[in-house]
Amino acid sequence: MDMTEFDDVPGADAPLDASDAALLARVAELDDRLDPVPDGLAERALFAMTLAGLETEVMELQVVEAPVGSVRSEAPVETRTITFTHERLTVMIALSVGSAAGTVRVDGWMAPAEVLQVELRRPDGTRATLSDADGRFVLDDVPRGPASLLVHQGETPVTTPVIEL
Amino acid sequence: MTRPAETSSLGDRAAEALVEYREGRSDALTDFVREATPILWRTVRSQGVPRETADDVVQQTWAALVRHADSISEPQATLKWLLVTARRAAWESVRKHRTDDMRRTGLPDDDAETTTTLPDAAPGPEAELLRNERDRTLWDALRELPARCQELLRLVSLADRPDYKAISAAIGMPVGSIGATRGRCLAKLRTVLTERGETSWT
Repeated sequence: MDMTEFDDVPGADAPLDASDAALLARVAELDDRLDPVPDGLAERALFAMTLAGLETEVMELQVVEAPVGSVRSEAPVETRTITFTHERLTVMIALSVGSAAGTVRVDGWMAPAEVLQVELRRPDGTRATLSDADGRFVLDDVPRGPASLLVHQGETPVTTPVIEL
Repeated sequence: MTRPAETSSLGDRAAEALVEYREGRSDALTDFVREATPILWRTVRSQGVPRETADDVVQQTWAALVRHADSISEPQATLKWLLVTARRAAWESVRKHRTDDMRRTGLPDDDAETTTTLPDAAPGPEAELLRNERDRTLWDALRELPARCQELLRLVSLADRPDYKAISAAIGMPVGSIGATRGRCLAKLRTVLTERGETSWT
């Protein structure tokens, strides 16, 4: 880091004092307010760590269309579309309100289209379904919370990152 | 951020969590994930990664720790390993999305201005979140600092002092100069604040 441009700044070599600490505290507080750590991120990370033990390849989350001004974990579920890509497979899912109260419906499409086993993994268990010949699948009444999809395709299953349903 | 033991630093707790995890106990690691996720978040966001993508980069950094738990030879280096891994993954993500954007729009690579623009600096309308003029002044002043100065101050603002060493190594700064660099960044921030008319910095 080239900081030579600051060499003439008065006070540059002074040790950290109470006023430095207070200024740093303001920086931390401002960051927390303007760019807060998303709700549930640590829990999603813990679930991702659990899944990391499995022999899978992780897809990349590519596009998320969320209601304007919202972020994934804090948004009330309206309809969100998320695309995951992998060199062998693309999965698009649309999330909407489930038929049971407080649940989410997941409509998925896969390309290339084929009949594949799809699992939805949550910290409390796994649900499985099959895609149809057009690559479509539906998982209804999924409880809210962190989840990851796993698709059995090829020798190594492909998983999505953990998302907040 | 919680600090379970006054005597141990974040780096110490990272080392303990890794050692226990290798021995088959994951409670300490679970606590450590909750404690250290904010510093990884700040690290990734400082590289200009949008919020949605940063969520995944942080997750994947933690997942990578589990996969590499046996290959980190020195447990005391765990915090540094995490910060370095998060930073590299963030760069990779920024680079990849830039390439994707270029491919989509078919435009030639732009000038330096676009490459230094940090997308998505805040989740919502800043005006509503900046409660008063002092906040606004500080936020603007911060953004006038060189990017790496901003990054350093943000990370240092979240860390215990013993962790400065891991932070400085992770962001590629000589260990011996961290104190002086932090001092310079703080002094520069004060200078900008003064220029903007703030007389009391705290």
